[in-house]
Amino acid sequence: MKTNVTMLNVLTIFNLLVAGIYGFWTYTADGEIEVIGFAALTMLVFLTGFISFYLAKSAKNFVGPEDNPDANIEDGEAEMGFFAPWSWWPLVLGVGCALSFTALAVGWWLFALGFVFSMIGLIGFVFEHSRGQHAH
Amino acid sequence: MAQPAKPGKGRVVVDWLTTTDHKKIGYLYLGTSFVYFLIAGVMALLIRAQLAMPGLTIIQTKEQYNQLFTMHGTIMLLMFATPLFAGFANVLMPVQIGAPDVAFPRLNAIAYWFYFWGSFIAVAGFFTPQGAASFGWFAYAPLSNTTFSPGLGGDLWVFGLALSGFGTILGGVNFITTIITMRAPGMTMFRMPIFTWNTLVTSILVIMAFPPLAAALFALGADRKFGAHIFDPENGGAMLWQHLFWFFGHPEVYIIALPFFGIVSEIFPVFSRKPIFGYRTLIYATIAIAALSMTVWAHHMYVTGSVLLPFFAFTTMLIAVPTGVKIFNWIGTLWRGSITFETPMLWSLGFLTTFIFGGLTGVILASPALDFHVSDSYFVVAHFHYVVFGTVVFAMFAGFYFWWPKFTGKMLNERLGKIHFWLLFFGFHITFLIQHWLGVKGMPRRYYTYLEGDGFTWMNQVSSAGSLLLGLSMLPFLWNVWITSRKGKMVELNDPWGYGRSLEWATSSPFPRHNFTTIPRIRSESPAFDLNHPEYASPDAKPLSGKGKK
Amino acid sequence: MLPKRRNRWAVVPLFAVLIASLSGCTSYEFSRGWLPGVTGVTNHTERIVSLWAGSWIVLYAVGIIAWGLMFWAIIVYRRRKGDAEIPPQLRYNMPIEALFTVVPFILVLGFFALTARDIDAIEKPVASDYKIEVVGKQWSWDFNYVNDNVYDSGIQLQDVTEEAEKELPTLYLPVNRTVEFDLVSRDVIHSFWVIDFLYKKDVFPGKVNKMYITPQVIGTYKGKCAELCGEFHSMMLFNVKVVSQEDYDARMDELAKMGNVGQLTANPDDPDNINRNNNLPGNKPKSEG
Repeated sequence: MKTNVTMLNVLTIFNLLVAGIYGFWTYTADGEIEVIGFAALTMLVFLTGFISFYLAKSAKNFVGPEDNPDANIEDGEAEMGFFAPWSWWPLVLGVGCALSFTALAVGWWLFALGFVFSMIGLIGFVFEHSRGQHAH
Repeated sequence: MAQPAKPGKGRVVVDWLTTTDHKKIGYLYLGTSFVYFLIAGVMALLIRAQLAMPGLTIIQTKEQYNQLFTMHGTIMLLMFATPLFAGFANVLMPVQIGAPDVAFPRLNAIAYWFYFWGSFIAVAGFFTPQGAASFGWFAYAPLSNTTFSPGLGGDLWVFGLALSGFGTILGGVNFITTIITMRAPGMTMFRMPIFTWNTLVTSILVIMAFPPLAAALFALGADRKFGAHIFDPENGGAMLWQHLFWFFGHPEVYIIALPFFGIVSEIFPVFSRKPIFGYRTLIYATIAIAALSMTVWAHHMYVTGSVLLPFFAFTTMLIAVPTGVKIFNWIGTLWRGSITFETPMLWSLGFLTTFIFGGLTGVILASPALDFHVSDSYFVVAHFHYVVFGTVVFAMFAGFYFWWPKFTGKMLNERLGKIHFWLLFFGFHITFLIQHWLGVKGMPRRYYTYLEGDGFTWMNQVSSAGSLLLGLSMLPFLWNVWITSRKGKMVELNDPWGYGRSLEWATSSPFPRHNFTTIPRIRSESPAFDLNHPEYASPDAKPLSGKGKK
Repeated sequence: MLPKRRNRWAVVPLFAVLIASLSGCTSYEFSRGWLPGVTGVTNHTERIVSLWAGSWIVLYAVGIIAWGLMFWAIIVYRRRKGDAEIPPQLRYNMPIEALFTVVPFILVLGFFALTARDIDAIEKPVASDYKIEVVGKQWSWDFNYVNDNVYDSGIQLQDVTEEAEKELPTLYLPVNRTVEFDLVSRDVIHSFWVIDFLYKKDVFPGKVNKMYITPQVIGTYKGKCAELCGEFHSMMLFNVKVVSQEDYDARMDELAKMGNVGQLTANPDDPDNINRNNNLPGNKPKSEG
């Protein structure tokens, strides 16, 4: 985890430096900042900074067996978590979004259909493992 | 895959449609993207046929021709190369880190379906009355608006790519989360295989670069369909589009390059029987390339007259340094090795030979003074085919031949593989080497035809002849896949090549359903090698007392 | 594994490449790195030729080192019968890695310095004797000779033959006079590329781009549009004639006599302009009325 936080911090600082240099240089060269590139680079600072901040906070001082160079396989958690063995919902959601995006090109009548499919797919996807035999 | 009783065909279809297994999803990506590769390849053959002589009308209208190269570029970059990365990463990365699957298996499937449907929507433009999008794969404004490119094909292109792009972003998120949270015990970050590292860095690039594309596409869609004026030229819209597009577009070419650098970084060690040379500096170089790749975008815009030339020239030239480090590290892996020339190694050497030249022409293009002449000419077309085809296609086939026993339990035929390699190698170079001269002598890109008096005819004929050879070279591969599936023998070995290093070579061929029945102890970046060749294992991996495996 | 006998055949493709790259060249072309045109076509071309040729020499040296090392390794370190099964497992060598990081970095610094100097010289505005406004349109070129208040207008190429090539719009430039080009488009982005000038600049709607050139050699040069602009992008060709001052003035008089007095605007709604020429039958450039 520390390595990842470090890598993202390095990227954040790099992006900050580049955004600063780019903003300053375009300002002095043309009399005005090249605002598109400057805005995009600045947003990168927030992107990588946010992820590294989240990782650092959520895994504060936590060194799992994966980051322990002397760990043995047995040291890992026996139960890794629940992995859905199969699911229809990704396909449903995919078709729904396909219809919705096509509708943006083709017409609003199709969007109604796409929206319905997408909502069914989304709700089905989110609640798949809280229903039926998984209900709790 | 061995199963007690063969399931009916319906069951198989349902199995693939509802899979959440990262390996199957990976195979779906690999198969779909390869089909798109062939489709866009046929488009390229049509383009080359049209250019074989001046004044030909093999493609009946210039508008159709514009559709052909637009969709050739779009398909090759966004429906072949990028999803191919998702395919290889999906199949291999979890196994290489000792994980049973990715962090979000259903989201993984959603990402695939977004790619599948988004690509289908964009390509469906060909079936509309006015045809597919024809404004070039970078869709410059205002050419890409409804005044200059009316028609459903352009709209489908915009929204289809937006959907597919969301799939790529979701895939990237999944890979990053998996690598951060699901590594096996002892698999520290600096013991991960280079392919996995490159998957991580590429995924970070994806989440940095694809959102601006999505924004730009929705803005263009709004202009085309909903009466917006975002890219109107009077408001600087033409430059706005270019900045947004290339801010995505340049990192995109590293997104398609880095994973394939990762593939050859796995293959060179196995067939030199040595570890990758300079593991840490390779990783730092990859991160440097990714960071720098976000700062070079306007080198595609040198001739617009409105970009800060020295800034972009400097960052573009700088990116050659970590790229060179990687090239020398690969050579260092070969150095003092014990090199054998099985097909994966041949393909990797073909990549290295080709990529070196593409990198050199890239340095020329980095200089605006030189780029003013060759920008938008066949010199650029030659450059990017050298780097992109040289990386993606050569490394793709290297990866196929290398990991086929892992995917299917059988090895592809070596003799056919070598024929495939040599036909493709010569076909590629005959097609594209001469295009450097064509561009320097003054042939612009995206031209339907050229003058008899231009002096371009013989060079175009050589290139078109080469393209025929290149097209034909696919046939031995397709034949190889077919007969291997029919008559190939199962290898029954974890490590059929003998000197595999990473964890996928410590499990069965093909993979078990949840990747491992047991995982060996991880003490270096080469755990399978340490297991199988303990006398040569890395110092950290040696057992503490006596010989033999612990 | 390559048996020894086949290794000798490896030189065949190597020689083929060498011969191919050396043939089809005169030493004059070679010294210009195969860039088109003759010496000194404009005041910038020799600077560009020299940077191009110099860069290629350095790049080929780097390439020869990289390819050389690679081929050396695969020939010398190929596995032979009786070799140890597994060679020493060398993982890194910091001095070498530092070398191949630092040396390219220094080369980059040098290349950047030369580039920065050259782009500054080429792009900087200079006082000009003449101003010519180039208006790009779908799918040809209008030239406004600002100093003489006349214009010339073109249509796209009709056929790929040499006769058709002569009908293309022709821009006249006076030799040894500095010309400021103002580039603007009436519709989509185009690009104004005179091949032998080794220079192009994009032509934008809603923005005027400027370039400053002194043509130095009398002759006729080919020009091509170099930015995809729609259906007839490959037909959007033009000629450039660099002529003596007398011939230039004669051409200006000729245009005035043809009735092309005034300036064509960049405004697509201006009724005097021909827009979006879809190359229907009976197509004629504006200058022929």
